[in-house]
Amino acid sequence: MELRSALTDYLASNNISAQQIRDDWDRRQAEAQRQPDQTEQEPSNPPEESRSPSVLESPEDPVKKRKRQQAIAKIKNSKEFAKRKARFSGDYDDEEDDDFLALKIHEEKNRPQPGQLANCEICDKRFTVTPYSKAGPNGGLLCVDCSKKQKADEKKPPAKKRAPGIGRRQNQANLLDGLTPHGTQSLLETCIKKVADYIHDIEDFGDLPPSLLLRLGQILSRRRAVTSRTLDLFLRPQYTSIDLFDCAKLGTDDYHKILASMPRLTRVNLRFTTPMKDQIFHYMMERDMEIKDLHLDGPNLVTDACWRQLFIKLGHRFLSVKLWNLDSAFDNETARVMFLQCPNLQRLKLKFLHKIDNDMLEGISTLKSLQHLSLRFLDETETKTEPLLQIMSSIGPQLETLSLEEFQSADDRLLQHIHDHCRRLTKLRLTLNSTFTDKGLAAFFTGWSNPALTYVDLNSLRDVDMTNPDGPEEPIGLASEGFVALMEHSGSKVQHLNIASCRHVSYKAFEQVFAEGKIYPNLKYLDISFSTVVDDYLAQCIFRCCPALQRLIVFACFKIRDVHIPREVALIGTVGATIKIDGITQTETI
Amino acid sequence: MAQPTDSEFVTIVSDDGFEFIIPRSTAYVSETLRIPLSSTNYPEGRDGKFVLKDFSGVIVEKICEYLCYNEKHKDQVNVPDMDIPPELCLELLMAADFLNT
Repeated sequence: MELRSALTDYLASNNISAQQIRDDWDRRQAEAQRQPDQTEQEPSNPPEESRSPSVLESPEDPVKKRKRQQAIAKIKNSKEFAKRKARFSGDYDDEEDDDFLALKIHEEKNRPQPGQLANCEICDKRFTVTPYSKAGPNGGLLCVDCSKKQKADEKKPPAKKRAPGIGRRQNQANLLDGLTPHGTQSLLETCIKKVADYIHDIEDFGDLPPSLLLRLGQILSRRRAVTSRTLDLFLRPQYTSIDLFDCAKLGTDDYHKILASMPRLTRVNLRFTTPMKDQIFHYMMERDMEIKDLHLDGPNLVTDACWRQLFIKLGHRFLSVKLWNLDSAFDNETARVMFLQCPNLQRLKLKFLHKIDNDMLEGISTLKSLQHLSLRFLDETETKTEPLLQIMSSIGPQLETLSLEEFQSADDRLLQHIHDHCRRLTKLRLTLNSTFTDKGLAAFFTGWSNPALTYVDLNSLRDVDMTNPDGPEEPIGLASEGFVALMEHSGSKVQHLNIASCRHVSYKAFEQVFAEGKIYPNLKYLDISFSTVVDDYLAQCIFRCCPALQRLIVFACFKIRDVHIPREVALIGTVGATIKIDGITQTETI
Repeated sequence: MAQPTDSEFVTIVSDDGFEFIIPRSTAYVSETLRIPLSSTNYPEGRDGKFVLKDFSGVIVEKICEYLCYNEKHKDQVNVPDMDIPPELCLELLMAADFLNT
């Protein structure tokens, strides 16, 4: 035991990962431990006596033979023998097999211990046994040279046998990346990935077109590989826009570098911009930069005073402002300054700004050019319906996209106002609300003079009451009636539809919407997660009615067990389902 | 000498004069190649020959390799990405953008 723990410690301390060596060593050592009484009986048992089975079979002197037979008889009575025997199937128990087994155990026990001498099983060379000595094909030990050869032979066939199923994790990861699981990737994507892999060896991109730069920027951001070094590759004096989706590794100087080396910038889209400070904004103001689009995520070191100054100096040019995740600055007053100084704003997105609330909403009504509005407060911010009604009645007619997330307590009056005032909407997102009623939503989509929407996100419109999972009698949120009315209104144009967590849409409503003969020719993306009624039949109906479908997202639709999906569709979120794609069956292994 | 446009193969020619003859169906993966090659209104369609003027033989060879790779694996699932030598990837990226593949 001493030796064993010493060896284990030694291996651990040297960080040697030699499972094979350790196993061999453990096994031999354990056998040596079980042996002592026997070695006491045969104190002069020389190691070469049992160096290999072939030797055992050769003629030997009667004394040794007798001793061996004694030993075998003893083994037959031992517990080890009983165990081994039990491990084989009980099919046979005749004398010969017993003898064979006993002989095998005997040989194993008599294997030399480390430090002793033995003859190699293959080349018959004499060598010193060490803990690292390998066992040969017939159970004997091998010398160093033969061990090496043996090891090399073992290494040759490492080809892992892939299970007949597909790995769920890898499969789902690919699906979420938008890769359908058949065919090759486009050459473009393959190359972009390769470029991203070798980004640190690249000195210059040459004249890559902006669209590719954008895609590369996205992939590098996702890999968190945008650093001061790689930033240089994106700085093009002649380009007017920069999009970097992860600036977390850039320093304050890098922002200066961006602004200084791209003086013609009109579009600044930077995310995770923690180190951005007042001086960057001051630089923009000093140079009177022609920025029209300012999209910043998390510039928390910029002060309120500086924000206001920026809007006063440059606000008249701004066409779009998108801000995310500001917690220490940007309050209602700053927002008011923005509304006042940026009269030409066409797009406004404010998400997760900690210091603003209902009070700033009325300012939005004054933006007479606004076409795209997207708002989301923090979830603890109290929301009211009235300011939203005011926005709708004043700028509703000009809005093209509207996204109001997590206005928990906004009620049917808001729907009524959107219904009455909005005529040009193409994209509508109303999510995370537990106040709208199904009747309200049905009325909203019925007879709405707005043309069919192309992008609809109504996820999580549902009643939340743990004690009443089926919801009240009169459904709250998007349920059957609302869903049918929605598809009646927008089915012809809708491309993107998300009704995840709208749990009260019934089986019948799905059946009605995806009935035979109904076609939603443009629908590419459909998310019906947590609509637990959807089963294999409904899934097939969906595929039949949506010829252009590319993604169907079905998290927690546990009744989807066995579906046949068209080639171009990525089905995301199934658990243990059997998926057939054009005759190729994939069974998920979990 | 004009070849019949319905030949089963087309020729892709590199800037430095290397010619690669590949099955027509593989070339049609690329919109940029398909449109001229499939119409007799273009000289490419009449000759069955497309000259990639901006790319060298090494790149065009890789492009043709991809076109065939794509054709070969189009019905298979979980296809690994084709191996691209790092030193070619930027130029190949430009080519891929041009070919719209």
